[in-house]
Amino acid sequence: MQALEPGPAPAPENQALVAGSSRRLEIICAVIAIVGSALLVFAAQQIEVRNETGGIDPRWWPTVLGAAALAFGVVLAAVAVLRPPFSRDELESATRAGWVRLAVSVAIAMVYLVLWPWTGYLIATLPMLVVLTWLFGGRGWKTLAVFPVVMTAFTYALFHLVLKVPL
Amino acid sequence: MSAFAEGLNALLDPTVAVCLLVGLLIGTLVGMFPGVTGSMAVALAAGFTLTLEPVQGLAVLLTIYVGANYGDRIPAILVNTPGTPAAIATTLDGYPLAKQGKGGLALVSSAMVTTGGILLSVVVFIFAARPVASIALEFGPAEMFALVVFGLTVMISISSRSLLKGLLAGIAGLAIATIGRDPITGDERFVFGLNDLNSGLPFIAVIIGLFGIAELFDQLLTHHPGTAQIVSSLGRWWPTRAEYKQMARPFALSSVLGTVVGAVPAAGGDIAGLIGWDRAKRMSKHPEKFGKGSLEGLTAADTASSATLGGSLTTTMALGVPGDSVMAVMLGSMLIWGLQPGPSMFVQSPELVASIAGIMIIATVLSLGISLVRSQGMVKILDLPRHYIWVGILLFCIVGTYTTSNNMYTVWVMLLSGVVGVIMKRTGFPPGPVVLGLLLGPLAESNLRRALLIDGPASLVTQPIAASLLLLAAFSLAMPLIRRARAARRDGAPPQPIEVDRT
Repeated sequence: MQALEPGPAPAPENQALVAGSSRRLEIICAVIAIVGSALLVFAAQQIEVRNETGGIDPRWWPTVLGAAALAFGVVLAAVAVLRPPFSRDELESATRAGWVRLAVSVAIAMVYLVLWPWTGYLIATLPMLVVLTWLFGGRGWKTLAVFPVVMTAFTYALFHLVLKVPL
Repeated sequence: MSAFAEGLNALLDPTVAVCLLVGLLIGTLVGMFPGVTGSMAVALAAGFTLTLEPVQGLAVLLTIYVGANYGDRIPAILVNTPGTPAAIATTLDGYPLAKQGKGGLALVSSAMVTTGGILLSVVVFIFAARPVASIALEFGPAEMFALVVFGLTVMISISSRSLLKGLLAGIAGLAIATIGRDPITGDERFVFGLNDLNSGLPFIAVIIGLFGIAELFDQLLTHHPGTAQIVSSLGRWWPTRAEYKQMARPFALSSVLGTVVGAVPAAGGDIAGLIGWDRAKRMSKHPEKFGKGSLEGLTAADTASSATLGGSLTTTMALGVPGDSVMAVMLGSMLIWGLQPGPSMFVQSPELVASIAGIMIIATVLSLGISLVRSQGMVKILDLPRHYIWVGILLFCIVGTYTTSNNMYTVWVMLLSGVVGVIMKRTGFPPGPVVLGLLLGPLAESNLRRALLIDGPASLVTQPIAASLLLLAAFSLAMPLIRRARAARRDGAPPQPIEVDRT
């Protein structure tokens, strides 16, 4: 497979939308990889084996994986420090509003998952959809009232009544 | 009744027809909405198809796969935004054609060559899958391990700009697959006293999280309103005789190329489309028109990316190694239905293979029909506000995941995988190798351990097939680095990070 000719450069107005490269991010990634793989090797050694045979036992494969990841993590750290950071030009830049939107969405989803078993699907789902629709930019009574009711009713009918999933 | 007839007979069930229509509708719609990819839609649909019979479930999933391949061309041509990654190359000439007032021509031509590409590649699947599977039946533990390594390394080399990050992602997937019971001795590993972890992490939940939720979260993070303009004047729809002639050569070239690329484990329509476009440009009498609204360019890109479907299906069904990311998700569903794609499927369930081929052909013909009767009204659907799409995706991901086990633990795993997935996406770690590692991890581990225990390490290098596959695996990892080093030497460029050329 041969390399393609480079495409046209992004228009100036679109350049602000492209995520910038970051050495600090690369170093953090490498540190997480090293710590994670070291933990994997350590945890693999703690596996209790019913018949100790030594050699290629249930600890062996996770240990091999952890050791390999550790080696790659160290190289990644070296690359992060010694070389220019990776280009992230295929990613759009995140916005402050985006971070808020994401954090609140995850929090709402977590609250929803806690509430669902207690209140039942219908009671938990309807308010969650109203809040999420508003959070994602929906405005007006049709959007904030009709859409959540229709979605809740549709999913309940599809999964609970048609597919017989006990919601 | 022969297995072939039995397989086709199963498609006459009216419920299968309903499943085909549902899949077609979902596939076309998800393809049309930028950001909702085929893998995401199939992952999402996998949740609620698990309660169906395998043929019905496959009818939904495969039709989504096919339908998305048509739908994704619409925003690529009209909005300059590919509906799925497979339509990236469509934008190169599709959007310029639409700007010239030839949007209708581009849409119809695209639908026709997409149909041709898929049908030709399904013919390859029908004739090539069984011979490939019969060779694979002879595989022992060493060969099976080498095959998994080959699939994983190809996925790593093409899905990530950083080879190191791809390798780490693949290892992470293999490591996650060790949670639960040891595949040979049954000993508990990384269970920490939690019963839910005894059978490992629920891979459908992980897949929905990494592909569906992570993509949604990334859109929530990066949404910038009003960056693309929809072309609303579509002009004439049908090509002239001279234009058909123009399209013939790139179609022939790209259908072969796409099928071959599709057969390479993990290589999908995005790569094939770009390669097809590039090759056609080099062979064209008018390369200067490419990128400025060339019908040849559009034909080459769409034929190549759609022809990957049959090649990808062949690899998945014959070898049990996913041909692309959608197939990786579908493999997960098939495992839950108790089906093990791979050579044994051709012996145990030959009728299912015939059903799969039949579903692909029917889905393709139906998708063409929908594409040809499309009207300007479709353009308006692209204006649907984002908040409806985001809320719908989140709710369907949650409920769809819940239906796989009726257990809230699975949904928590999905949500956590989504958070991990968006972090991976933002930091350049590809999700594909994680999913592939998770799915194929037990196969890799058990076969490697058996090979080492029975024949010793030498079996990996003395068995010709295993040695060849491992050599190919090493080659697939080394090639991008060698190519990059050559390019840097040629250009006299300053040192760059270890990034690979994704083409």
